Amino acid sequence: MATGEPSLTVPTAGPLGTRIDLDDVCKSYRVGSTTVTALADVNIHVDETALLVILGPSGSGKTTLLNLVGALDTPTSGTVRIAGRDITGSSQRERQLVRRHTVSFIFQSFNLFPALTALENVQFGADIAGREHAADVAAHVLDQVGLGDRMRHFAHQLSGGEQQRVAIARALATGNPILLADEPTGELDFRTGVQILELLQAQADAGKTVLVVTHNREISRVADRVVELSSGRIVSDGLPRGGRAAIRDLHW
Amino acid sequence: MGPATLWLRWSWRDLRARWLVVLAIAIVIALGTGTYAAFTGSATWRRVSNDKSFAALNTHDVRLRLSAGTTAPHGALLDVLSGIPSIDKVTAAEERLVQPIQVEVLGAGEDLLVTGEVLGTGRPASGQPIDDVYVSAGHPLTAADTGQPVVVLERNFADYHGLPASGRLRVSGDQAVRYAGHGQWPDNLIVTGEGGTGFFSHSTYAALYTSLATAQRISRSPGRVNDLVLTLRDSDDARSVKRELQEALREGQTAVSASVTTRAGMPSYRLLYRDIENDQKVWNVVAGLILAGAAFAAFNLTGRIVEAQRREIGVGMALGVPRSVLAVRPLLLGGQIALIGVVFGVLMGAAVGAALSDTFKTLLPLPVWDTSFQMSAFARAAALGFLLPMVAVCWPVWRAVRVEPVEAIRVGHLAGRGRGGGPAPWLGRVSLARSSIRRMPLRNVLRTPRRTMLTALGIGAAVTALVAIFGMLDSFASAIDQEKREVAHDAPRRVSVQLLGLQPAGSPQVSRVTAATGVADASTGLSLPATVRAVDRSAGAAHVDVVLQTLSPDSVWTPTVSDGAAPRGRDEILLSRKAAADLGVAPGDHVVVSHPQRVGADQFRTVQSRMRVAGTHPDPVRVPAYADASVASRFGFAGLVNLVQTVPEAGVPPEDVQRAMLASPVVASAQSVTATTDALETALEQFTSILIVAAGVVLLLALLIAFNAASIAVDERARENATMLAYGLPVRSLLAMQTTESAFTGLLGTVLGLAAGFGVLSWMVGSLLAETAPDFGLSPVLSATTVATAFALGVLAVAVAPLFTVRRLRRMDVPSALRVIE
Repeated sequence: MATGEPSLTVPTAGPLGTRIDLDDVCKSYRVGSTTVTALADVNIHVDETALLVILGPSGSGKTTLLNLVGALDTPTSGTVRIAGRDITGSSQRERQLVRRHTVSFIFQSFNLFPALTALENVQFGADIAGREHAADVAAHVLDQVGLGDRMRHFAHQLSGGEQQRVAIARALATGNPILLADEPTGELDFRTGVQILELLQAQADAGKTVLVVTHNREISRVADRVVELSSGRIVSDGLPRGGRAAIRDLHW
Repeated sequence: MGPATLWLRWSWRDLRARWLVVLAIAIVIALGTGTYAAFTGSATWRRVSNDKSFAALNTHDVRLRLSAGTTAPHGALLDVLSGIPSIDKVTAAEERLVQPIQVEVLGAGEDLLVTGEVLGTGRPASGQPIDDVYVSAGHPLTAADTGQPVVVLERNFADYHGLPASGRLRVSGDQAVRYAGHGQWPDNLIVTGEGGTGFFSHSTYAALYTSLATAQRISRSPGRVNDLVLTLRDSDDARSVKRELQEALREGQTAVSASVTTRAGMPSYRLLYRDIENDQKVWNVVAGLILAGAAFAAFNLTGRIVEAQRREIGVGMALGVPRSVLAVRPLLLGGQIALIGVVFGVLMGAAVGAALSDTFKTLLPLPVWDTSFQMSAFARAAALGFLLPMVAVCWPVWRAVRVEPVEAIRVGHLAGRGRGGGPAPWLGRVSLARSSIRRMPLRNVLRTPRRTMLTALGIGAAVTALVAIFGMLDSFASAIDQEKREVAHDAPRRVSVQLLGLQPAGSPQVSRVTAATGVADASTGLSLPATVRAVDRSAGAAHVDVVLQTLSPDSVWTPTVSDGAAPRGRDEILLSRKAAADLGVAPGDHVVVSHPQRVGADQFRTVQSRMRVAGTHPDPVRVPAYADASVASRFGFAGLVNLVQTVPEAGVPPEDVQRAMLASPVVASAQSVTATTDALETALEQFTSILIVAAGVVLLLALLIAFNAASIAVDERARENATMLAYGLPVRSLLAMQTTESAFTGLLGTVLGLAAGFGVLSWMVGSLLAETAPDFGLSPVLSATTVATAFALGVLAVAVAPLFTVRRLRRMDVPSALRVIE
């Protein structure tokens, strides 16, 4: 990194910054008079930075799991610790601070702010995390994801892949140690999806915990660890079947 | 289930899904419909009640009135009448005496000393008297009261001051009079004050109704009359009888200077009827603006709903459903919204109508009030209230169904175009704030220009109504200030004393007036009624009625000359700027003045004199006109006076001088020169409470429209909001952004509303009031308070509207909203 360039690391999370612990987590909803169990007895511990894929079909509970890790939701029972902090029974305000300083989201539909340019969308991430020189941080990150020449474009002027790269840059600009990606390639073609996976893997390699939720088993092949869910329960947890593959070997 | 039922159920579900916003729009429609229905209905009430009241009092058809200050022997006016060819058309005629008078109410609990008039009329042996009196409290006069100091006190004055049904008065000449009751007669169904030129005069003008003999006694005019009223077999003959009377006055043997008017020329009649028409025009505009606001709001909502349905419409197209059929669902929704609004509106109209009925009965007490339900007014209002929102929904529906199916099905079709659109990209390189979060509100305003403009127009419509109503009062207040500055300059405490008839200038009685206790300085002059017209009749108004006062070098007060010069010699006249403008004349031009010419002792003729306009004065009331004292000899009044201007000694209140004048036998009335303007100011203050209600309605309207827009924005931006919340932005920051955005829209709406409001105000002042109050020179004025109020309501109130969505934001299911596919 050249001298004077803004740092991309924010030491807000401390030594346990990338750690995720879910113990006996259950989550159920009431739909009318019926109780639907989305997650049951889920135990996951992530103690070193990695690209973790949560795999499962629709309705398996993977998004619910992501929301719990992202402090958007609370479990019905069990414990959720993020960066060493127990957020199980935390207040709205405490969970909001976790979202602001510890985890960052990347969405399937990008969810860029249409009123802002690509640069401003990324700056939003830096602004919300309270980073100094937010505009400089945003420009630097956008450059890193290969969109240095698209900074002044609005979302509707970008392709799907470019929009997702802006969304990743926004998450990176927060400087938060945990990235949560919900079907990040779901709306992209194969070639663009591969570029996005490369970006995410690079973040894991750079010391962040990247948690990707997908139904695409092929994507799980590049993960450091795969947690497979079915009907709200973990059915497997470990290395990808057949060992970890290179991204260039993926097909879907 | 048939197709019709399906569409109805489907559109009803659409409606229920957005019930809060639908309710907001329905209330806006209801406000417009209700206002329109109630005020249109009230116009009919007023017209019918006026008709019945004037008929109940056997109001005259034609009136002959001698010039102010002149009288004729009892019987002389009947002689004039008897000579006209159409005498057989006259069913009854009565001679009367109307004289100015000073009235002090004794035991009123407050210092109540005002000017007024005494009307004396003879009761016929049988049948109803012409211009009869309606006694609202106390007792009517009886035959035994004839010639006795017993009168009926004008009801509006008595009610305003809360006077008892009977009591004691002291009138000019230090005479004690008893009033037996409160009453109204045609001249005073609405009190127009001295000469019928004033407004809101009921607080400072005490009119007394009594027998002719009593009036002659009180005004020390035994055997004299100055007024003739008559009724006709057919009131359509009034114009021809008027012409014949004018002819008889010109050619007859009786030398009198008089004016002849029909019932329509009576100030109270003119005001009561013209007020209805003009009020209706104003209320139509106000209700129209409110309905326009409702239409914009309905347009906004249906636009949003139709956009949300665009994929369903596309699917329908793909399935081969005709476009006309696809349009049914959103149109039905629009119809349902309009229908709910109209039902609410009818209920609101009935409630407002009931309140209005009470208000009218208090503000305009008439002998007969007919406030029956006005079906046609409500039907018209309901039709308007239904049609306007329906027309508003047609555009988004038409826009949605003419899209190609493949486009409609595509995700983010319509939204995609508008999302980063509008002028927002222009600001892409402009950083108005360092933080990306702070940049968002203005960008959001600009990226949906259509919605922003529709919301701003809705708010603008509400602000327009507010500005127009407040501006009317501002304009009146400004004119009153202007008049006060003019009449009060140099000698602000002076008391203007009207003498009984004409008095020799050097007579002991006049000397006693000028040297009365407490008077420091005084000057005498003449005050004569006159009519002025331009020599070139095509220039402006046909004629202007004025009161011509003479000025001498020793006058204690002289008018300001704003243009030209002060009048000099026998041939010059100083007109008000308003009169000159109405006549289309300027200093240096000539006018023809019709005025009384004294042709002998108590004998007068109306003659025409050509005079040069020397200059103009700035009094916004066009009635005062001035000429040099030498004009008196030209008009045959040399050596005579009927007006004394007095300046109280230092430390002596003007009221003391007025009271001292009561004792003089030659004084008809004495009043402070600022009495009229003071009364007008008091009357304007009474409207403040009404304005607070108007401001409240506008506040509600603006708030509802802004809430509607904010609510739509919350729906439309659910995913954006969820994304921000997912990134840890507090709800309060989100609200702050939306509040700022709303404030921008409110600001735009307020600016539009102020501009449009000033336009409407200019129209009302220039068109409506010029007709209702031709003597009053009003200019459209907006005070700083009005502008500040408009901004406070249009910007601040609108800015808080998003706060009503806080519950929805707090309860937002963020995970679900994040996955919404637009």
